[in-house]
Amino acid sequence: MPAIDVAHVSKRFFLQPDRPRSFQELLVGVFKYKPRSSTKETLWALRDLTFAVGTGETLGIIGSNGSGKSTCLKLLTHILEPTIGRISVQGRVSALLELGAGFHPELTGRENIFLHGSVLGLSRREMASRLDDIVTFAELERFIDVPVKLYSSGMYVRLAFATAINVSPDVLLIDEVLAVGDQNFQEKCLERIHAIKARGVTIVFVSHSLDAIRSMCDRTIWLDKGVMREDGLTDVVIAQYLRYVHEKEEREAIAEQESRHKAQRASTRDNEEVTPGGKEAVGDSQTPDHSEEPDDADPMARYRNRWGSREAEIVDVSFLDREGQAHLLFATGEPMTIVMHYRASKRMERPMFGLAIHRSDGLQINGPNNNFSKFEIPYISGEGEVRYKIDVLPLLEGTYYLTVALYDEGGSHAYDHQALNYVFKVHRGDIRERYGTVYVPATWEHLPYHGGSEKSDSL
Amino acid sequence: MTARLRELFAHRGLIENLVLRDLKVRYKNSVLGFLWSLLNPLLLMAVFTVVFTVMLPNLSIPKFPVFVMCALLPWNFFNTSVMSAINSVVYNGHLIKTVYFPREVLPISTVLSGFVNFLLALPVLLLLIIVFHVPITVWMLYLPLIMIVQVAFTIGISLILATLNVFYRDTSHIMEVVMQAWFFLTPIFYTVDLLPESKTVWGIVLPVRRLIYILNPMASIIASYRSILYGFSNGSPPAAPAFDFFSRTIITSLVCLVLGYAVFIRHSHSFGEEV
Repeated sequence: MPAIDVAHVSKRFFLQPDRPRSFQELLVGVFKYKPRSSTKETLWALRDLTFAVGTGETLGIIGSNGSGKSTCLKLLTHILEPTIGRISVQGRVSALLELGAGFHPELTGRENIFLHGSVLGLSRREMASRLDDIVTFAELERFIDVPVKLYSSGMYVRLAFATAINVSPDVLLIDEVLAVGDQNFQEKCLERIHAIKARGVTIVFVSHSLDAIRSMCDRTIWLDKGVMREDGLTDVVIAQYLRYVHEKEEREAIAEQESRHKAQRASTRDNEEVTPGGKEAVGDSQTPDHSEEPDDADPMARYRNRWGSREAEIVDVSFLDREGQAHLLFATGEPMTIVMHYRASKRMERPMFGLAIHRSDGLQINGPNNNFSKFEIPYISGEGEVRYKIDVLPLLEGTYYLTVALYDEGGSHAYDHQALNYVFKVHRGDIRERYGTVYVPATWEHLPYHGGSEKSDSL
Repeated sequence: MTARLRELFAHRGLIENLVLRDLKVRYKNSVLGFLWSLLNPLLLMAVFTVVFTVMLPNLSIPKFPVFVMCALLPWNFFNTSVMSAINSVVYNGHLIKTVYFPREVLPISTVLSGFVNFLLALPVLLLLIIVFHVPITVWMLYLPLIMIVQVAFTIGISLILATLNVFYRDTSHIMEVVMQAWFFLTPIFYTVDLLPESKTVWGIVLPVRRLIYILNPMASIIASYRSILYGFSNGSPPAAPAFDFFSRTIITSLVCLVLGYAVFIRHSHSFGEEV
């Protein structure tokens, strides 16, 4: 018999309860005209969910916000009842849904430990034998007889976690609670959860941290808007989930890019109608072109800018992957080629193409141009493209903005300068690094000063 | 139903802890501690004694302080238990939303902590009985049984009202008035003998004395307490409550308990969304 059995479970919430909340409303409602149709806005938080978890198995649940992960856990604890379907859970369930949920501020740490234990159905004697473990793990030896209302939030969290994992559950449900507490304690918690897992406890683990899921769970299910998308080996499901998330991100980036350029083209046309031919005549006066109103969704909108005399212009930019396919999403360490499509209204001698990559907060990461690289373009005339090829993309996960520019030979006259006008995204690929901004290709060595010398490479 | 009862039994430790929590929290922050719980009925008793022996002396009930006290203590237990049990589910909303346990534990433990307070106040009553030379009889052995009957009745009422309060939040406001009325409709500071045997309203003959007992189990319970501890207002010594009268009270209380429990478990599954 599986430890957890979920059969065709659906859960519905009423968003606007049309039920009167008091006798007063009930009485008023009798005399008030009520249109019948306007009532009951419902949300199906879960739809026809079926899965089983075997004893001793560790199941991860992933999904974006609002996918029904937390509802699922609350159903497993019996806090909520399914609208349709049946759930059975064998054995004692301990849930870490919200740390310190049952604590009473006026009582001491010790009293709260006993209280919380009894919430889960443990006797006083059973809790007494665990008291030392809990207190030691929570590092609260000196404060255990102090009312918890005087605890710092860190102490509170430590006590709650230590209590919840020390009640020897058969089934442990963990919701995104490890995000609290300091780094040290988080690691200690993870370690302890691993130990509990090794003891054969069935664990269901909900997290946004795919790393945590990967390290803990053999099997993972992926929920999307209340429906199970995938159920299988953790690595496989996470890979599918990531692909889906990245594709979605890319679609969003493309849509963003398109709407921005549409707006830009529209405003450029407006400008030309106002001052026909003006730009070509006045060479040095740079005509700023604040193409869009800054909007909240795009933090760089304020800085985005385009100017130049436009005898030659960069009409489009595309980002190519290894196969030459255009994308807006790349993995760290992959090759990436930035292609600047230009159009020149007349022959231009030795033009200078440049670009700059910015982090999402505006920090400029690089700023190459073909002169720096001693790559000479003798002239441009008509249409063509200039490529900037990156063999190993050194950027870590994040959103990046691109500035492209086309100047004259000396770099003093702008034909077309588009500041922060393009966006692309980077996700973590095979390279697991994630702290900082750039990936520096390097190797590791280890040379102990005693005994034999050992050399090890990684990355 | 049996599965639910077994689950409740498994959580008896929780009830015990919640009762302890209630008592600790109640007495931790007051200097006089549990003396307060004695002072309140004593002061009320003093007020009633002054009103009914000095200001309205024609009632002429002998040993009035004992007479009032053996009704006032059970009533206080009933009143405070019900009024705090009504809100016990709603006030513990954070618990209900984050941990699972049988929800009936909350009103039950509230009533039981009221019961413990009642027990702690009993020595005062005993002292009054001795001071006023009320005879102590074997009928006092009925006391635990009457207490159990009252606890059953109180838990039954509390379960129903706590459920109602989850869905209609003004239940507790309404109950404040109802409890006030209930207090006056229960023979606490007067005797049933003072009431007319019957009264004719719109041509219908209402047996007032009988109705007080039939419609109001608290009147029966309090009459039982009084019968074994105080005796009767005509001066006769304590006696066992009449058999038919007392067995009817027991049945009423048990029906109330079963009904309350049934109502509560029928609705408790949706508490997680409603609180």
